[in-house]
Amino acid sequence: MSGYDRALSVFSPDGHVFQVEYALEAVKRGTCAVGVKGSTIVVLGCEKRTAMKLQDTRITPSKIALIDHHVCLAFAGLNADARVLVDKARVEAQSHRLTVEDPVTIEYLTKYIAGVQQRYTQSGGVRPFGISTLVIGFDPNDDTPRLYQTEPSGIYSAWKANAIGRSSKTVREFLERNYKEDMDREETIRLAIKSLLEVVQTGARNIEIAIMAPGKPIEMLGFDSIEQYVKDIETEKEAEAAKKKPRGGQATSN
Amino acid sequence: MDAIVARYSRTAGVEHDDLRGEEQYDCSAPSSLPLLSLPPISQPAAFLRAHTDDASNPDCKIKIAHGTTTLAFRFQGGIVVAVDSRATAGSWIASQTVKKVIEINPFLLGTMAGGAADCQFWETWLGIQCRLHELREKSRISVAAASKILSNLVYSYKGMGLSMGTMICGYTKLEGPAIYYVDSDGTRLKGDLFCVGSGQTFAYGVLDSAYKWDLSVEEALALGKRSILAATHRDAFSGGSVNLYHVKESGWTYYGNHNVGELFWKTKAEEQSFENVPTDFTVDA
Amino acid sequence: MDVILGLTTKDAVIVATSMAAVRGVSILKSDDDKTRVVAPHTLVAYTGEPGDTVQFAEYVQANIQLHGMRNETELSPPAITSFVRSELAKSLRSRKPYQVNILIAGYDTATEKPYLYWVDYLASSAQLPYAAHGYAAYYTLSLLDRWHKKDLSLDEGMKIMEMCVAELRTRLPIDFKGIQVKIIDRDGVRMV
Repeated sequence: MSGYDRALSVFSPDGHVFQVEYALEAVKRGTCAVGVKGSTIVVLGCEKRTAMKLQDTRITPSKIALIDHHVCLAFAGLNADARVLVDKARVEAQSHRLTVEDPVTIEYLTKYIAGVQQRYTQSGGVRPFGISTLVIGFDPNDDTPRLYQTEPSGIYSAWKANAIGRSSKTVREFLERNYKEDMDREETIRLAIKSLLEVVQTGARNIEIAIMAPGKPIEMLGFDSIEQYVKDIETEKEAEAAKKKPRGGQATSN
Repeated sequence: MDAIVARYSRTAGVEHDDLRGEEQYDCSAPSSLPLLSLPPISQPAAFLRAHTDDASNPDCKIKIAHGTTTLAFRFQGGIVVAVDSRATAGSWIASQTVKKVIEINPFLLGTMAGGAADCQFWETWLGIQCRLHELREKSRISVAAASKILSNLVYSYKGMGLSMGTMICGYTKLEGPAIYYVDSDGTRLKGDLFCVGSGQTFAYGVLDSAYKWDLSVEEALALGKRSILAATHRDAFSGGSVNLYHVKESGWTYYGNHNVGELFWKTKAEEQSFENVPTDFTVDA
Repeated sequence: MDVILGLTTKDAVIVATSMAAVRGVSILKSDDDKTRVVAPHTLVAYTGEPGDTVQFAEYVQANIQLHGMRNETELSPPAITSFVRSELAKSLRSRKPYQVNILIAGYDTATEKPYLYWVDYLASSAQLPYAAHGYAAYYTLSLLDRWHKKDLSLDEGMKIMEMCVAELRTRLPIDFKGIQVKIIDRDGVRMV
């Protein structure tokens, strides 16, 4: 090795901070998470690892964490790192309420999270956070949906729809092809699930969905309703596939 | 560098021990608190009192400017802020031309009662914090947040001798016209109408008797001015002139300096009021 | 001379607080709220040194809400009281103790019981069927000793609260600008 990846706060001669780039690798190996903004809601979708036979799935923590009543976050990368970052964000959210009376805005919180991540790329003896996050929610007294992404380097950005983690490139490209402006609630949830299905083969059992609407508490979609969406999407896909190949086997009902 | 590492390598469990306002908030706003050195004594407030309290020790060496009447009220057309301009140090009138309204920024006004230096310094400091908030958040700070920053600050100095009684007045889209009373014991109250200072009772008397929400801007300005006049007439520690402000959605506007000497006689003539003051000084034969 | 008063009924707690905010010789505000909702089913009512009261109540509120976010559970009123008491005990032995007296009114959704705790700035705490702080206690405690019963209905509880307020209005030498009443029961906190 070149040696420029040993200490965190050392540049390589061509301007890379290798530890930060390795952190991005950790993100790429994490399970996938997507965020999609609709006209009135914003949705987070997560790929869930298949539980082992004796694992108690009810107690295993989720990849979606509530930061305050109106903000939540999904991450991809090292789960244990995320716990620390989530906790810092929660403390900041309460601290902000305490010092300026208002709840945090989504951008403020994103900036804070990205700020913490950045600090861990510029001090000695520490390791960057091996996670990217998607932050969603609604600002106080506002009904514009918000979706932001943060990265281990401390970069943050706003999105209409985005994916992080394993195969995020595939999912993002899918979202680019299928995103429409002003989607209603159903369309938004459907797009989130459909995009996840690009990389999650096992269906509803391995998907988690969180929905936020202005002034309402977070809504975690139950297994049954996710399964319903998955079924609908699959039948639709089959119908389309059949349409494309009219000569293959059964004829379509045109 | 070790200090930074130590800060960030604390476990999550330890951290919630100090969810105590500034420390946490300052993470995002380093260097926002100026460092003031304290005198090397155990009870700063008692020390300060011993050397500045004119009432208990007329020979004291330092006499802090005190005595004021300030008022602010909300009405249909925004907020009216009116203050007097006298500064006294003991029984000595130190100045008749003090600016007791501190223009924090084009949308926020702070009033000054108590220690002039304390109010001037910390409200200017508040102006810096508001500007930083604006730059960071890309939106103007709410009056609630601005007043809370000030109240948290003075609370952190509680018991160390700060002396302030102030009203933070402003107008934002979200809140409309808003007034917060903030004082040096850390009290922070939202309200429609406040009078602060040694002449507060006299100002309240006139203001309460004629105050209505539906006042026109002109009426409201006149009422604010008249209430301060009443206080300058009865309170020996208030006087000089009246400074008038109106706060509305587009920010505040200044409505001039009105010398109490002339204002009094003019008002008396117009209203036929202040009957206890004779105008006719001829001695009966 | 703030009035802070609470009483329990069979399945609710009623809390009454005076609405005047007095500083020096003037009443600065006549619709002051001397309570903070710290958890969905728990309310803290406070009186004491100006500044300290709100700072302490909001500090407690932020920490309890943080605990709620971290653990996705609601703390019970007894747990909240333990926390508040321990914070006051810590503060009492510091350079600048919080001088705050507190009533904690809550409804435990797990055991389905109402709770009322009396806590003072010396960090004493007691669970009581009815409690008050300050001058209000001198007038109302005897009245409550006489009329408060076990397992009161909410209406009966409100009647007794009205008796207390009537007594304060006739005997307390200063105007406390009316009383704000809040009820805490299985549906959470609501204003009357």
